[in-house]
Amino acid sequence: MGTFAALLLAGCSGPTPAEPSETFASFEDVQTEADGQTVDLWMYGGDQQANSYADEVLIPAAAEQGVELRRVPVADTADAVNRVLTEIQAGRDDGTVDLVWVNGANFGTGQQADAWHCEWTDLLPNMKYTDPADPLITDDFGVPVNGCEAPWHKAQFTYAYNSDAIFDPPTSLDGIVEWAEAHPGRFTYPAPPDFTGSVFLREVMLSMADGAEQVPQTFSAEAFEQFAPAAIQRLEELERSLWREGSTYPRDEQALNQLFANGDVDMTMTYGPARLTDLVESGALPEATKVLTLDEGTVGNASFLAIPANAADTAGAMVVANLALSPEQQAAKADPKVWGQFTVLEMDKLSPQQRELFESLPSSDVVPPYEVMSRNAHAELSAEWVTALDDAWRERVAGTP
Amino acid sequence: MSGRFTTTRSLLLAVPAMLPVVVVLLGSLTATLLQSVGLMPFIGPASFTLEYWTGNATELARTTAVSLYIAGASTLLACIVGFIAASYILMTERAGRLVAAIGAATIPIPHLIGAGAVGLLLADSGFLSRLLGLSDGGFPALVGGPYSLAVIFEYAWKESAFVALVIVGSLARSAGGLCETAATLGATPRQRITHVVFPLALPALAVSAVIVFVYTLGSYEVPWLLGAISPEVLPVRGVRLFGSIDLASRPEAMVTALLSILLGAVAILMGLVLLRRIRSLR
Repeated sequence: MGTFAALLLAGCSGPTPAEPSETFASFEDVQTEADGQTVDLWMYGGDQQANSYADEVLIPAAAEQGVELRRVPVADTADAVNRVLTEIQAGRDDGTVDLVWVNGANFGTGQQADAWHCEWTDLLPNMKYTDPADPLITDDFGVPVNGCEAPWHKAQFTYAYNSDAIFDPPTSLDGIVEWAEAHPGRFTYPAPPDFTGSVFLREVMLSMADGAEQVPQTFSAEAFEQFAPAAIQRLEELERSLWREGSTYPRDEQALNQLFANGDVDMTMTYGPARLTDLVESGALPEATKVLTLDEGTVGNASFLAIPANAADTAGAMVVANLALSPEQQAAKADPKVWGQFTVLEMDKLSPQQRELFESLPSSDVVPPYEVMSRNAHAELSAEWVTALDDAWRERVAGTP
Repeated sequence: MSGRFTTTRSLLLAVPAMLPVVVVLLGSLTATLLQSVGLMPFIGPASFTLEYWTGNATELARTTAVSLYIAGASTLLACIVGFIAASYILMTERAGRLVAAIGAATIPIPHLIGAGAVGLLLADSGFLSRLLGLSDGGFPALVGGPYSLAVIFEYAWKESAFVALVIVGSLARSAGGLCETAATLGATPRQRITHVVFPLALPALAVSAVIVFVYTLGSYEVPWLLGAISPEVLPVRGVRLFGSIDLASRPEAMVTALLSILLGAVAILMGLVLLRRIRSLR
């Protein structure tokens, strides 16, 4: 009954954020401390290429640095964040999560509750290869990074189409919506709060606002009132022309890909274009799959590795985050055959030998290089936009038959 | 006296097994309740409020209605199919064994696998629509459609095997002899089912109906895979809000969870009352 009483007592006060774990003077101190530690990296487990990169490339390299790395697969990054929050709420300072592969929305959730270890990325020697002024690295979904997470790779929101069905693909988001209206039943998008579906909502909003630069990144009720209604209304009008007249939506990106592969729809979309190469090669997506680049560009972001404030093996986690930023690891990861993730490093900060690692990578038949994909790219809006738009969509678009 | 002694003794024997269950359940229910009224926030000070219970009443009501509809329809179908299968197993020799084997083989399949299989079978471009040559349209929206038909189909299929198993288990000894007696007295097979098997099976049917109802009310994976995006059932809504990137949604998730626990508890109580009635009719 002791735990029960403790729970009751804990319930009466808000949780106290975990004490920030030890701070280090230099990276040598970190390495000394890290030697022999076991680091649990919690990451989304639904991507085979990500799993095999971690298991076959990153884990052996970590072992060479004296850190035993373990991959903990989760169905959804939110599960890992929930685990951290629950442990902090229960007052555990020897957390089971040492490192999380996060995207902006989940990073923001942790920041709301002060759940991340902060101001540590300056210690990492390999941060010198990144551009400190790169907006994708300084802010994550409008939340300042503040050294609370180390960049891992860049992603670009991408539309793909079936070139056997579409001979003259649209070149703007507005064009995509018009194409969908001209071809009833051949287009749909995943239902928010699915990550991919929410991005599509925001992209429609930015397009309706005549460009990403018109919409302020920070959320305010006024800005929402100004820009959201037009997007919601456009999506309501579009609904009749969607797959199944919009009476339902695919639940997530995988479900949309399933429809695309079955020929039920002619377009799909993803925040992980890196995977397209492998999906086409393995036959999961049709051979005629081609990437659709938009004139106005799409949204880009970086994903990161974050250390929970209550992690048991902070030093080991820092060593792994630094290793993941090394040119060798970044180049290995960028190979389409391995994982195909775009690097966060700046080419002009690398030595000629290091640059050669990237230049010798095979190119993909499906996915154009990052420079092409990220042309005119814009950054993500802050996380409050995400939930506000998702809720409005659920109320107005999904809820009305 | 000795009766009371054995009851006490059996209760004492069960204590070691019960204690952890009770502690975990009470602890988590208390934490859930506290979070649902704002007394256990992740951020900010704790203050008692009922807004999470009342603020979204219409959506909660819709979600509840859909949950009850799916659980009710699934239970009804599972009971009808399960009872017919059980009667068949009890009354026919060889063919009955085959039905029993098929039913028993259904039981160990996890619902997640069952839902995946039903999805492959009934989706728009699934196996059935291709078989019928309707994969280019014209196939009804069973998966993700407005009436959640694929969800009900999956539950009815899986749970009918469970219902049949419970009925057969409870009647295996008594039904055979009584049916033969009725037959020698000139009862037709239909009369044997309606006058002998059905009254005998009623308690087992009622118990398994309550179990199936409560299970389908609280189950997540089948409606998540096969149901529509909107309206959602209670468990799907709860998990969605629990995983929301906005921590302010957490109390609403707890409200949803508690609501489905309450509905389950009410269903169990009603089931017990019903069972008493059935027993007292005898």
